[in-house]
Amino acid sequence: MTTSELQKLLESLHPLEHKVLLSFDREGALSASDILAKSGLDESRLDMASGWLQSKGLLDVKDESTTSLVSLTETGKEYREKGTPEMRIMNALKEGKQFTVKDIIQTWGMDPSEVSSTVGSLKQASLVQIAQGGVLALTATGSVYSSYDDYELIKEVFSREPAELMTFHPDQQAMLQANFHKRGKSKGIFRITEKKNRLYTLTSDGKELLHLIKERGVVTEEASALTPEMLKQGTWKNKKFRAYNIALNPPRQSIGRKHPYKEFLDFVKYKFIGMGFEEMRGPLVESEFWDMDALFMPQFHPARNIHDVYFVKNPVAAKEIEEPFGKRVAATHKDGGKTGSTGWRYAFDLDRAKRLILRSQGTAVSARTLASGPKIPGKYFSIARCFRYDAVDATHAPDFYQVEGIVLGTDINFKTLLGLLKLFGQEIAKAGEFQFRPAYFPFTEPSVELHVKHPELGWMELGGAGIFRPEVTKPLGVDVPVIAWGLGLDRMAMVALGIQDIRDLFSRDLDFIRTKKIQLG
Amino acid sequence: MPTIDIKKHDLDGLIGKKLSLSALEKHLMLAKAELKEYIEETDDLKVELSDSNRPDLWSAEGIARQIRIALSGKPEVYDFFKHGRKATREIRVSKAMKSVRPFIAACTATGVRMNDDVLAQMIQSQDKLAEIFGRKRTTVSIGIYELDRIMFPVDYRLAEPSSLSFMPLGMEEKLTLAEILERHPKGIAYGGIVKPFPQYPVLTDSMGHVLSFPPIINSREIGEVKSNTRNVLIEVTGTDLRMTMLTLNILAVSFYDRGAEIEPVKVTYPYGTEFGKVVAFPVNTAGKFKVPLATFSAGLGENVALTDVKKRLESYGHFVSAVRGQVTVTVAPYRDDIMHPMDLVEDYAISRGYDSFEPVMPQQSTVGALSRLELLSDTIRGHLVGSGFQEIMSNILCSREELEDSLQPDEQLVEVDNVMSLAYSVLRHRVIPSLLNVEAVSSKAFYPHRIFEAGEAAVFDQSAIMGSRTDLNLAALISHPGANFSEMHSSLDVLLYYLGLEYKLEPSDHALFIPGRCGKIIAADDAELGFIGEVRPEVLERRQIAMPCAAFEITLNNVLSLSIKN
Repeated sequence: MTTSELQKLLESLHPLEHKVLLSFDREGALSASDILAKSGLDESRLDMASGWLQSKGLLDVKDESTTSLVSLTETGKEYREKGTPEMRIMNALKEGKQFTVKDIIQTWGMDPSEVSSTVGSLKQASLVQIAQGGVLALTATGSVYSSYDDYELIKEVFSREPAELMTFHPDQQAMLQANFHKRGKSKGIFRITEKKNRLYTLTSDGKELLHLIKERGVVTEEASALTPEMLKQGTWKNKKFRAYNIALNPPRQSIGRKHPYKEFLDFVKYKFIGMGFEEMRGPLVESEFWDMDALFMPQFHPARNIHDVYFVKNPVAAKEIEEPFGKRVAATHKDGGKTGSTGWRYAFDLDRAKRLILRSQGTAVSARTLASGPKIPGKYFSIARCFRYDAVDATHAPDFYQVEGIVLGTDINFKTLLGLLKLFGQEIAKAGEFQFRPAYFPFTEPSVELHVKHPELGWMELGGAGIFRPEVTKPLGVDVPVIAWGLGLDRMAMVALGIQDIRDLFSRDLDFIRTKKIQLG
Repeated sequence: MPTIDIKKHDLDGLIGKKLSLSALEKHLMLAKAELKEYIEETDDLKVELSDSNRPDLWSAEGIARQIRIALSGKPEVYDFFKHGRKATREIRVSKAMKSVRPFIAACTATGVRMNDDVLAQMIQSQDKLAEIFGRKRTTVSIGIYELDRIMFPVDYRLAEPSSLSFMPLGMEEKLTLAEILERHPKGIAYGGIVKPFPQYPVLTDSMGHVLSFPPIINSREIGEVKSNTRNVLIEVTGTDLRMTMLTLNILAVSFYDRGAEIEPVKVTYPYGTEFGKVVAFPVNTAGKFKVPLATFSAGLGENVALTDVKKRLESYGHFVSAVRGQVTVTVAPYRDDIMHPMDLVEDYAISRGYDSFEPVMPQQSTVGALSRLELLSDTIRGHLVGSGFQEIMSNILCSREELEDSLQPDEQLVEVDNVMSLAYSVLRHRVIPSLLNVEAVSSKAFYPHRIFEAGEAAVFDQSAIMGSRTDLNLAALISHPGANFSEMHSSLDVLLYYLGLEYKLEPSDHALFIPGRCGKIIAADDAELGFIGEVRPEVLERRQIAMPCAAFEITLNNVLSLSIKN
């Protein structure tokens, strides 16, 4: 590393790293315990700091050896205070006390299994025998017995704790091994822990950096954060602020955010507001009248089969059809009424018109707006949830949005229809090329399909439109020409969201919703 | 709408000119048709037709006709529709047909130059007309027979289901009408049309031979057209006379286009029809329309010349005379879709080509605006996003199971009658269950969860004209180990503060919330805005949500009407 690189490294050293480096006050390797002693760090901090230093190429781990250390378990400590069970029983007998095994358990509070194994081993060593009535008694050898090796060992371990296993006499080592605490064996007396002992050396960069630190003199105080106290008392002036590693990943935040699909629909909404459109709304449950009849879709004709609908179970029918629209629409279907049309020439069924369904097309909202005395000139749009009786799959959602609307005015005609569609193409799909194709919708004449060249999707059908048939507008009380238009934006939305399955527009997966980005405009 | 298969060489032959694929694609616009596919090895075209009101276009003959007329610039005349032609053959309708399947129309086609292409188109066109235009044979169905095997007059009458029998197409044995409905695939598919009646329709000739069992199946003996058939009887039965006649006309002109002679068949009705008791079919039912030139100019948005209108309409197939600023249009006999002068305006525009019109922006100025409800919703969405809530969007159509445990005793759901899948059988009546759906699958998303949705719900309402009303509701939900009433309450409190709404919470019971930890949100005037509470552990457990949740829901329609009042 160059000196300037080392300087930079120096700036970013953590105080813990400083302490570790400074403990190298002599040439050669230092053991972990040396460093702990010199730096005053605890083990976990040393581990952390040495890890950082190693990753920066300043420190090497030279060697690694393992030391076994012996200490007392809880049981061992208890024995040291009260004596081992053997000792306690023997001493009590020597003091002339009379007791049975049961007495020991009940009055001394010793564990039954411990008592029985202790008594068992004393018997086996012929130190104790069981006399009349289960009373314990010393044997001849027992009465002169006085060497308790294990107790001596407990005392020794206690005095040197933690003591290295290797420093004990081989016989003692064997005893320690035999009585050490193993997992699941609670009555062990000794605990043997293995301790790794590392030897650390400075790399040449490390040595140079240490040199730089020493040259510069020890920094008196380094602060990790600026505190209100420092500001109040002005003590920040004597402090140096450690440089952060700004390359680290930040923690994740939970933020408030609009739904990405809603963001797309908001974009569409604001586009329409910008083009002079007023928002209209309508109910989710519609009558066939507003969804189809008012749109001059004949009741018993294939045009009605363009899509299948969901029927409502209860109530089955609307209480009434708003008049005078019901009568006028019925007459128009039958013989054209006062619209200048021949009509569909069949007997209109008012009960069928009342049948309740889930709104199948956004045009139902337009029909209601026409009947409600709209502004002339007027432009309206709706983003309406619609339902179709389709099997649900990657391209069919159970319910979906339709973006639809109308334009009323005395200057509405086929050419202004095309003009409006071209504007939609430019504004909504950023299209530069257009194609207008003849199309069929039961409620418009002429009808047109708008195909545009989308920058990412290529040629696509953006929507359908037309001029409402007089059979639609006149019965609803509108005497000027009206453009009806509808846009299919789901494919664009899916591209903007980067998804392939239409059902993901209404995903329930919070992680998915939180992380989905949207590309607009 | 229908997609049909055509051999390209057959189409070219009918047009009288070999068209390149790109030229064909362009010309298909005349028929509102789209080329979906062309397989060069087999010469197969797949064409999709969009106009459900132009069944004459649902065949190679129909599409070719529209293109041929455009290329020649002249409408085609079908002489056989001329009045006063003597019909030598007769079909007699029995009285009882009136209540079962009242109408029949028929004609003959002789000298048919049958081949595989012709046969394929004949079968396809019969199928599409009966399935789609005839609504699965209910309104209209078609039979085509070997003319030379029939002894006229033919009777259209009713027969006993179990006594009359014949050998139907596709079978090796004689079956009674009842057996056909039970065993024949077509009987099984379409039997429902005749089953409500005690007796079934049949066509029998003067020798007593069965021609067919309309609208189910033809007899194998008489009603099987083969590639060596030259002369046929075409018959259409139905419940709507005009649709029946139009279907016959379409088939007649198609056979004529293939070089056949069309001869009329007289049908004698015992009851009156729109066209009398004795009718020689085919009959030209097409209307005559007098349209001022100004209608075209106004509808199109530019001044058009009378001669131009005549020319364009003629090259779309209409018969036109133009005098004194007015065109008189006689529609071709195979079309019955012209109901209003605007239909002719469209025909003019299609004939001239949509790309010949310059798009013009509407000039009249209008002011854009959101509805007050949407504006309120947007304000609230902005507020909640600023408060750290993630917005959710959900399906409105869902399963009863998702909503059941959030129903109050006095609440009902708006249910679907024709359920396709139980997963989509009811409309949600509030939004909190949708947020719980999110929690149910999002335990891996890091906590805390703060989510909301401003969305529509359908509320069952006996008093409403439609039996329900659509509310725009706002629901918010928090979920994390310490989520509780007070945290949710403070979110609600600050929201209502900024909306300028005074409110109080009234202790209440709710299916969704822990008793004693739920409140009704009451605004001034005692208007109910919604509910708030800690979600019941039963509700969470049922959805396998292992994290406490608190939530509130308010009806924005009610908030709006309050703010309008104030």
